[in-house]
Amino acid sequence: MSNLLNYIHFPIYSVMVLFLGAFLIVVLGKNKFLRHLIAVLAAGISLACMIALIKPVMLNGEVIAYWMGNRVPAGGYAIGIAMEVDALSLFFGLLISTAVFVSCVYSVQYMSHDENIPQYFTLFLMLAGGVMGLVLSGDIFNMFIMVEILTFAAVALTAFRNKVYGALEAAFKYLVVGCMGSTCILAGVIMLYANAHTLNFAQLSGIIPGMMSNNSVKIAFALLFVGFSTKAFIVPFHPLAADAHGAAPASISVLISGVLTKSGIYGIIRLTYFLFQTMGLGSFQFLLVFIGCVSMFLCVTMALAQHDFKRLLAFHSISQIGYVLTAVGLYTAIGFSAGIYHALNHTLFKGLLFLAAGAVLHETGTTNLDELGGLSKKMPHTTVLFLIGAFSISGIPPFNGFASKWMIYQACYEKAVESGNIGYVLVTVICLVTSVLTLASFVKVSQSVFFGRLPEKYENVKEVPWGMRLAMGMFAVLCVITGLFPNLVGKFLTHPAATAAFNANGYIDAMMGEGYASSALGPFMNSAQNVVFYEAGVWSPVSWLLILCIVLLAVTIVAVTGKYEKVNALATGEPDAKHALFFSGEEAVYSQVGGSDLFWGFKHNWRHYFSFMHDLHSGILNDYALWAVVALSLAMLFMLIVL
Amino acid sequence: MSVILNALVDLGYILIFPGFLFCFLCGMLLCGIERKIVARMQKRVGPPILQPLYDFFKLCGKETIVPTVANKTVYLAAPIVGLAALVVIQLFIPVFNFTAFAGNADIIVVLYLLLIPALAEIFGAAATGSPFAGVGLSREMVTIISCELPLVLVFLAVGKAVGNAIGSGVVFSLQTIAAYQAENGCLLFKASMIPAAIAFLLTIPGETGMHPFDAAEAETEICEGMLAEYSGKPLAVYKLSHAVKLLTLTSLFVALFLGGLGTGILLVDGLITFFFCVVVIICVVALIDASTARLKIEQLFKYYWTVVSGLAAISLILAWFGL
Amino acid sequence: MFKKTIIESTGKSPWLFHINAGSCNGCDIEIVSVLTPRYDAERVGFKLVGSPRHADIAVVSGPVTKQSLPRVLRTLEQIPEPRCIVTCGSCPQSGNVFRDSYSVCGPLSKYVHVDVDIAGCTPKPEAIMDGLLLAAQILAEKKKTGNQEATLPNPYAPEKTAEEAKPAEEKTEEKGEA
Repeated sequence: MSNLLNYIHFPIYSVMVLFLGAFLIVVLGKNKFLRHLIAVLAAGISLACMIALIKPVMLNGEVIAYWMGNRVPAGGYAIGIAMEVDALSLFFGLLISTAVFVSCVYSVQYMSHDENIPQYFTLFLMLAGGVMGLVLSGDIFNMFIMVEILTFAAVALTAFRNKVYGALEAAFKYLVVGCMGSTCILAGVIMLYANAHTLNFAQLSGIIPGMMSNNSVKIAFALLFVGFSTKAFIVPFHPLAADAHGAAPASISVLISGVLTKSGIYGIIRLTYFLFQTMGLGSFQFLLVFIGCVSMFLCVTMALAQHDFKRLLAFHSISQIGYVLTAVGLYTAIGFSAGIYHALNHTLFKGLLFLAAGAVLHETGTTNLDELGGLSKKMPHTTVLFLIGAFSISGIPPFNGFASKWMIYQACYEKAVESGNIGYVLVTVICLVTSVLTLASFVKVSQSVFFGRLPEKYENVKEVPWGMRLAMGMFAVLCVITGLFPNLVGKFLTHPAATAAFNANGYIDAMMGEGYASSALGPFMNSAQNVVFYEAGVWSPVSWLLILCIVLLAVTIVAVTGKYEKVNALATGEPDAKHALFFSGEEAVYSQVGGSDLFWGFKHNWRHYFSFMHDLHSGILNDYALWAVVALSLAMLFMLIVL
Repeated sequence: MSVILNALVDLGYILIFPGFLFCFLCGMLLCGIERKIVARMQKRVGPPILQPLYDFFKLCGKETIVPTVANKTVYLAAPIVGLAALVVIQLFIPVFNFTAFAGNADIIVVLYLLLIPALAEIFGAAATGSPFAGVGLSREMVTIISCELPLVLVFLAVGKAVGNAIGSGVVFSLQTIAAYQAENGCLLFKASMIPAAIAFLLTIPGETGMHPFDAAEAETEICEGMLAEYSGKPLAVYKLSHAVKLLTLTSLFVALFLGGLGTGILLVDGLITFFFCVVVIICVVALIDASTARLKIEQLFKYYWTVVSGLAAISLILAWFGL
Repeated sequence: MFKKTIIESTGKSPWLFHINAGSCNGCDIEIVSVLTPRYDAERVGFKLVGSPRHADIAVVSGPVTKQSLPRVLRTLEQIPEPRCIVTCGSCPQSGNVFRDSYSVCGPLSKYVHVDVDIAGCTPKPEAIMDGLLLAAQILAEKKKTGNQEATLPNPYAPEKTAEEAKPAEEKTEEKGEA
């Protein structure tokens, strides 16, 4: 028994418990209480397993190699199915299981109005299990299988509210392009297997870098790269995400944006840092940074033009993924740790924002920015939680988005100085400008949803049930904690993960036996030794707490001493003309500056760009499929020329 | 024990010297000087130098009317949060060689903290639900976007110029910049930094909402825009933060470009020179304020992203090639 | 502690809000001319503001037409206390040439407590300046006593001859009634 509680087994538990939960809900899902209990318990156990692994993997630097049925490699070939957990896998596993758990808690009350809830939870846990499996798997074919599971679960969940306009269309788009991505991954896996005769990730990492002159390996790389890009929804696959997020329930949007995209990023990191080890090439760093910057900027401008709360968040989601990709593509220790720190933060604040959007949808039945307004008086807690998320994503200190973005800017600018390439300065500027545009679009959301005037039809809106607020609160607390203590996040999470990413040899050796890596790859310069972390920004919590106290004190004094409720009706005969809005003397009527018109001073100058973008995003699936094909051919061309 | 002592010293910094009291007095004084100079340029006598103080105290004594449709908490908290953020920036800006919160000082922190006052104003305005405030906040947000690009470029250029000179690649720390200038004379006398300095000077009116970049607060067209529903004490705090913002931006300019003009390490000495520099800059800003009319918001955006950003970019490129 | 400072400041920083209640625009132009370099009302702290929420003194011009009456009253009510209401020109006091018209509801003092009347059609800038300064003093008085109807003795009152004279009314040399 005690043997079964050894932490060696935790990775497989954290995946299996989710699939088991999915199965049990199919069997026992008729009972409401049991169903919720199983779902939350499964997600909770999965999270607990991941947390328990922090000590051995993150702090002690172990790499857990878990061979199913104890089929360890024999004769230099890894035949068995393996799970391998290094700090990088665990990092992504942790953020995924956190998002899954919170989203699961939220779903319990959020989905109460829907039909077919057992099926929802089954698919939900399938999706979660798929992503966990993908991240923890040590076998490239199993990665493909998990990709398939999660894609289909995600498609089904996108179409779950199939009575909503556009849900089926979104799911169909996602299905087609998602399957193209999966097919690419499968084709890439086949070509790798044909060349290297193994599927184990560590062994492939040992063999493949020596075979890079082989054209079929290059093509395989292109296929895998494009396949994982579809999962991360980076440009040019971004329109799918917008449609899917708009249609899916909010709790699923959390998973799609916080979890699915991360699995794509994880795949890209694994490919470029481990499997093909191409990151040392300047051209490859350029590729990742370029895609990252394009995603970042294009999607933030697309988000500015959106009218729908959830579609807007969807575009921001890709924009933030652009940050992650840019930082990871810098191939410096600080850049990498900044990138995955931002990935973590993105999961937290974007989860929070999607849940807030879900809360609005749950109470008002719409997410259209032009129809909503003034909800802050009816839903004060949701508003505060939303604001925390909005400040985090816009990088306002002291929330978490600021800490990670700060590191990203430093990393970019330092890279520019180090490499002497002025292009990276442009990257820094794009990052900073994107950040302020992000802020702008969240100002737009707050003005058009939570502040401004309350339309009369929402007079009876109430605050959401406590379970949903609890879930949002969890994300909010995590946002504040990760923002206030970047040093702890660095120590426990990002630095070990970054060290692991630069230590491909250690990873291979842990799986295949000591010395395999150096024998396969030759004397490999261990870049782990070059990984030096220094604190990009130092926070002094005492000073910040003092300032916080003073602000609180001042707010209280103003609130207490002010005479605010003095009503004296004068001659106008209206009940309270004095406290009505100033409307140039007229009686105040409902009037709201529409969300879509809010930044016309900006949009006017960019009108050609915006109309071009409008025409480009036609909404026709054929176009998007064509983009995918073009992206694939470009990727192949790039790999053939550069590698 | 030492923790408590440190906290007390920090409290002193926050409340007295570069903090609240200093900000309050200097900001008000600067605002008064600015108004006086504008008046003199228009051949008027102009208000007394202490006029902003009178305005502030008068507003403190006025009744505060919170509109019924407004979200009261946000409405009341917004001005104070904005003011606190400004004070925090002031703590990070070095005065000659002295910085209150050493080690925290970093250009990027300042860049982001500069967003908070405007943001607080925006959220406060949004909370009132007034349509005038709606138009005002939309314009203010566009102004923020406009000013952000030149500011970023200026900061990067300065960071690179100092980094080149020190030979450590890149410098984002305001303290290092101040230390460098204390030794080698101020950055303004470097040829490559002059366009950046001009760009920064042109950004100050935009950030503080003065002519010709005050589309967000156009009192004649949109009833003071974001402040339309504010009265009494919250309005007083807003007026104070506008004054402090003037101080913050000008002292930031001094820290970035004129840091070497201190005469000694003595605090008072540094303070006096620093204050003189600020006054000089106020004259430049007031000159633009008095001699121009209001730009439309889309013109404002275009101006900042072409002319001012262009100047800053020239500086960055010059600094990049080590000039 | 600050009470004295606040009262003093109240008299030194009166902000104006101008309401046009159907005026012919003559008074409006004269009010603007008070702010021009020649008369420069800013030297004593006057400032024209755009929202009644910021105002201390409301300057009403025009004969208070039927259309404008509810709007004027609403706007006046939205000015935070202490506030002063000043009528500018003869129209809001007597109706002037528009008196007894079917569409005129004036005088304004029928509806609200008016603190200062500046007579004339149109009053000279000097007269307006004088009236506004008096209003500023009344403002400080109101802050001091807390009484919204507080007045000061009329500096231009005739020597106790006119028994029906309105309280705190200021007469200037040009009385422009028809």
